[in-house]
Amino acid sequence: MKKFLLLTLLIFATLIIGCGDESASKDKLSVMLGSNVVSLDTAQATDSASFEVIADCIDGLMQLDSDGKAIPAIAESFDISEDGKTYTFHLRDAKWSNGDDVTADDFVFAWRRHCQKAEEYSYMLGSTVACVKNADAVIKGADPKTLGVSAPDSKTFVVELDAPVSFFPALMTFPTFFPINEKFYNSLSDGTYGTSPDTFLSNGAFVLTEYLPGTANIQLKKNSSYWNADKVTLNDWQYQVVSSSDNALTSFKNGTLNVVTISGNQVEHVKQDAELSKNLNTIAAGSLNYISFNQDPKNNHGGALANANLRLAISNAVDRESLVNNYIMDGSEATYTAIPVKFAPNAETGKYFAEDQKQFSDYVGFDVKKAREYFEKAKSELNKDKFTLNLIYANDSGDTIVKVVQAIKSQVEENLPGITLNLQPMPKAEYLSKVTSDSYDIAVTNWVPDYDDPMTFFTLWTTEGCEIAEHWSNAQYDKIIADCTTGELAANYNARWAAMYDAEKILLENAVIAPLYTNANSVLISSNVKGIEFHAAGVDRVFKSVTTK
Amino acid sequence: MAKYITKRILMSLLTLFLITFVLFVLIRIMPGDPFPVERMSAEMILQKRAELGLDKPILIQFSDYMSMLMQGNFGNGTSLYNGAPIKPILIKCMENSFKIGVISILFGTTAGLFLGITAALNRGKFLDGLCTVFSILGVCIPSYVFMIFLQYFFSYKIPFFPYFFDPSRFLFSSIMPSISLSLFTVSTVARFTRNEMVEVMNSDYVKLAESKGLYGFELIRKHILRNALIPIVTVIAPLVVDLMTGAMVMEKIYGVNGIGKLMVDAIAGEGIDYNYVLALGIVFSALYIGIMLILDILYGIIDPRIRIAAKETK
Repeated sequence: MKKFLLLTLLIFATLIIGCGDESASKDKLSVMLGSNVVSLDTAQATDSASFEVIADCIDGLMQLDSDGKAIPAIAESFDISEDGKTYTFHLRDAKWSNGDDVTADDFVFAWRRHCQKAEEYSYMLGSTVACVKNADAVIKGADPKTLGVSAPDSKTFVVELDAPVSFFPALMTFPTFFPINEKFYNSLSDGTYGTSPDTFLSNGAFVLTEYLPGTANIQLKKNSSYWNADKVTLNDWQYQVVSSSDNALTSFKNGTLNVVTISGNQVEHVKQDAELSKNLNTIAAGSLNYISFNQDPKNNHGGALANANLRLAISNAVDRESLVNNYIMDGSEATYTAIPVKFAPNAETGKYFAEDQKQFSDYVGFDVKKAREYFEKAKSELNKDKFTLNLIYANDSGDTIVKVVQAIKSQVEENLPGITLNLQPMPKAEYLSKVTSDSYDIAVTNWVPDYDDPMTFFTLWTTEGCEIAEHWSNAQYDKIIADCTTGELAANYNARWAAMYDAEKILLENAVIAPLYTNANSVLISSNVKGIEFHAAGVDRVFKSVTTK
Repeated sequence: MAKYITKRILMSLLTLFLITFVLFVLIRIMPGDPFPVERMSAEMILQKRAELGLDKPILIQFSDYMSMLMQGNFGNGTSLYNGAPIKPILIKCMENSFKIGVISILFGTTAGLFLGITAALNRGKFLDGLCTVFSILGVCIPSYVFMIFLQYFFSYKIPFFPYFFDPSRFLFSSIMPSISLSLFTVSTVARFTRNEMVEVMNSDYVKLAESKGLYGFELIRKHILRNALIPIVTVIAPLVVDLMTGAMVMEKIYGVNGIGKLMVDAIAGEGIDYNYVLALGIVFSALYIGIMLILDILYGIIDPRIRIAAKETK
């Protein structure tokens, strides 16, 4: 018995002492990821975590600089045809991490494959965004060879578009448009591309050393064959997936993680701590949170929300300043436009699209008197005094949304007596299926922009885009959006910009949605970590030029 | 005996089949959809559903699934969510869960036996009370509270152990997850050991052995513990499966890539990954049923009374 006990003790002691090389991991940059990486396959990736890790490892034609401007990456330069519909990219000498050259064929292969697979992000190549010739047809099943991309030689990549796209170079920074090494891809068994460090190739700043789909820990190291390797100083570093913000804060405090995102109620706590508050950064994100009204006249509550005055009443009964200052508290900004506050700067003036937050104050704002006037009109038009509406929301992404919907409920019910909002929390999967299957009245939702142009939001509310949400249709709005994407305005930057304001006006005077706030992230960064680039659209964080001292 | 074993195996297979069927139907009628729909047109989603056969009647889907399962594939063999093949990922995650599970079983049973024996030998004394209090606490405290407590004190307040599980230092960083997982095992084993030992110590044959002059460690090892162990093994067996199939909460808190975390992610993601949830459900059930089957057969071999009982009921 004694021998047995002694042996057990010995084993545990050896385990504890033998493995305790704590110092090894303390110098390593450790970055928090708020959610799992869905996939490293550019055609399968749908979430910001995946896009970020892909962009750590793969360079596209272009990349974003620290100010969010598109600058050359794999493409050394590019020419645009006079009609703006043909882009010719001249590629630099770059290598994949297995030693192969990065060629124009890698782009042709990746783009054709993306359209052929017809996954969630394939729409980026289609006629609402990049307008690549024939992309819509290939997505629907046409021969991928008909896609408007070609490689006249190994260092020239030509893209033909159906319409000029003013932000096309900036789109090239998005992982959907990144290359895949065709030879390497074909050497793998089906479906295994990007599922481990062995089945994934880098041509970018870092290579994977440890990865598994759904993993909680991703290890990366510098890619010595990267074309711009001289500029990369970060060597070994890692991502840790942390879903609880309490865990995030404590692990930052004890030095386990160097970059973490915390929640609004932790911000107050951090601000009271003199040391910790030095590490706090408020980063404006580009995602818009808004109330989506189901305007289908046939929906299960008699379609009361098809009445514009009822929607305007609700929109004007919500105090957005109070939402961000008293409930969210993480630096998020109250928003009175359909486009987030610090998003999509004008290429000529540099001013953000929604810089003037007061331009639609006639329709969007917090004005109880006005809200009640709208409500009275709605009541007489609908011949009804009492409205019970179901408000659905996805409750699995933290407690901020819970506080927000509770505040909305109390504000609306207090300011508009006669309206009752039933809060219905549900998991995201169920929430999404409810929104698409038309079984909701009001949803509090958010949209994360995919590219740095207002159109990433405006296409949501066209008749086709609305099919899955608000069930609203307006021919004039649809025409403006069509003109701006593939029509006559596509080539005229200023006219297009002005037309988008007209579209926004139609949207807001009809209260198709009620904008609430633009997200911000409260991020704690260790004082020795410098050079993380944050972007409002596309790839959220870039670590290429990070230094740790 | 052969008949007994065959019967048990057939029963197990039938149980597994029924479980698979119920799981299959439940997952299909659960609210939510496997496809994250925000950026796809309704037409594209229908096309995807048709490709995967999700538009067929549920019974036909089930028979398709069973025929694929017979060939060793879970559905079409890939995740509906990210298109990656299921099997290699499942195996890697099982490896992690099993390793941590084995460590916690070893720790849990050793510590539990130690506590139980100490309590039984000091029956009615202070040590007995202390061990009893500990084992009651162990059963009562929800394991996630204990996990967070351990993580807070031994990784944050006294930063000795790593805060998160680190695959590059597997053994060292699995100590905390294993200990936090074994709390229930420790207390259950301790309780059972104590009770069984007290019972055996009061039995006539132990008294006889004592009167013959046997005492101390020899008596405990040869006469008391051996007889007390049989019921304890029965308790441990299902615990073993529980530990090996990974603890969903533990794996989430410590960030372990195990099958528990895999299960949570498959259900709680943007889209419900039918293939993963089913595959994991089948693996969990198969493990449980498998262990129970082995136990049943072992009992039959160890204890002829069970075998005879089975014969008589025929």
